Amino acid sequence: MNGYFSFEKLKSILTYVENDPLIFSTSLFMILFAGVLLIYNLLHKNKNLRILFLIFFSLYFYYKSAGYYFGIIILSAFANYYIGKFIAATENFSIKRIWLWGGIALNVGLLSYFKYTNFLIQIYNDISNGTIEPLAIFLPIGISFYTFKSLSYIFDVYLDLMPTAKSLRDFSLYVFFFPNILAGPIDRAADFIPQIDNEPVISNEDLGRAVFLISLGLIKKVVIADYISLNFVDRIFDYPLRYTGMENLLALYGYTLQVYCDFSGYSDMAIGIALFMGFKLMDNFNSPFKATSVAEFWRRWHISLSKWLLDYLFKPMQFSLRQMQIFGNMISLTTTFLICGIWHGAGWNFIYWGLLHGIYMSVGILLQKPKTYIYKKLKIYNTPFLKFFQVLITFHLVVFSFLVFRTPDTQIIKDVMSQIYEFLHPEVFFQFVEEMPVVFALFVIGYLFHFLPTVVEKTTLKMVTWLPWIGKAVLLAAVIWIAAQFKSADIQPFIYFQF
Amino acid sequence: MISKELKSVILDVLHLDDFDLHDETIAPDVPGWDSLTHINIILAVEKKFSIKFKSYEVLRLKNVGDLQKLVDLKLAK
Repeated sequence: MNGYFSFEKLKSILTYVENDPLIFSTSLFMILFAGVLLIYNLLHKNKNLRILFLIFFSLYFYYKSAGYYFGIIILSAFANYYIGKFIAATENFSIKRIWLWGGIALNVGLLSYFKYTNFLIQIYNDISNGTIEPLAIFLPIGISFYTFKSLSYIFDVYLDLMPTAKSLRDFSLYVFFFPNILAGPIDRAADFIPQIDNEPVISNEDLGRAVFLISLGLIKKVVIADYISLNFVDRIFDYPLRYTGMENLLALYGYTLQVYCDFSGYSDMAIGIALFMGFKLMDNFNSPFKATSVAEFWRRWHISLSKWLLDYLFKPMQFSLRQMQIFGNMISLTTTFLICGIWHGAGWNFIYWGLLHGIYMSVGILLQKPKTYIYKKLKIYNTPFLKFFQVLITFHLVVFSFLVFRTPDTQIIKDVMSQIYEFLHPEVFFQFVEEMPVVFALFVIGYLFHFLPTVVEKTTLKMVTWLPWIGKAVLLAAVIWIAAQFKSADIQPFIYFQF
Repeated sequence: MISKELKSVILDVLHLDDFDLHDETIAPDVPGWDSLTHINIILAVEKKFSIKFKSYEVLRLKNVGDLQKLVDLKLAK
């Protein structure tokens, strides 16, 4: 019966439900998190209990998203902690290297089994007309993130960049920590583990930043990303040939904004939630569409992943190919981005997307010197005029790459591009503005705020920090209320410009 | 203390006339020292001092002081 309390109902809410992870923007998470914060603060004097409580809740959070596969994460943490110990226990580099490769094989093997087995079977079937049935493999959510977190730990211990974690307890908290277990940021053990010993004293600045980030994240994720995807983007990409080139183009810009708001919004919330408990996670996004080159885009987009790939994949590869100089860099870059694509998912679209970025970056290296020479000759080097066009071109290269990222079906890519080039109908833009004012307003708000100078964000953050705690609470409540309105809004009618 | 020779190799690769390099200087502090030019610096240092680095030796470098120590260690061998 609806509205009637029963333990059965409570149990069904609190136990694992397939494909229904405990994401930050749900009311269940907000209620649970309020309780967790309360208990966590009551335990703040007892370090051991406080940490164990956080480990317990993190495991519950993961169980709620992955079911009994939380056993894998426990085994993974256990194995990686001891691999780190064995690496640090010897001065003999050959033995260190054996343990390192053992650790890589374990982590990559686990990730590959869950994530890529069926994709490999599909490729084999396609090549050899085989009929091998796909295996019934459940993909444990977040496995790409916690595997990379564990790998960074054993790499850093191997390179002597950090001491081993003092205990299995501390290492487990690093791996399980619920704010970033499902979708990053892929924090470094060297930054996270030393924070475990600190008493969770939250300064007013941290509290202000936490409220600011959670509010911003909710607006990005629920208000912008979810709304424009449901009401506009998805419908166009489902049947691109039913719409004009203008609608397809707008859907492309919309999808780019959606991906950014979805992912950076989640990261903002994760960083804010961690701050509430006294932990500082690394930044993950820094206005990526302001980049003047694809290389700069990757210094601003999913920073924790791109830095991971740079430190542990690109640099060792680049070093071993150093005699090949510029071509060594190009091979290393293309391979790194290919792996970056594969990391995102088992599908050709991710592989093409990664390769495309590898090609962008490699061409960028080849053109760097002649471009600088021409810019200096034309006296436009380092001018706002040049920067404007660099941002514009980089943005469109990224937008195109997201079309590849979005769809596993290459026919859809062809359809979208052919509609844009052969059937643009620019006048449809005015119809779009008139008929879909909310979607249009969200486009404007999303992009306008993105391109505002950094000082605006800093000033807003200062203002939120300056607010008394009651003001911060009211602000957060208001944002949650706005997000709830958008979440419950019906899907907007979308028939006016179909033919 | 960074030797004159090491400093001149680094500045040469980065096309810098002068830049104050300390033990604690890290790559992002120096104009033009990014992940692509880094490998050119390593190559130039190997060539200048006729030494060979190993991958893990280079990957664990935190600052210019560490690079100087590594060069000194290699030359002492």
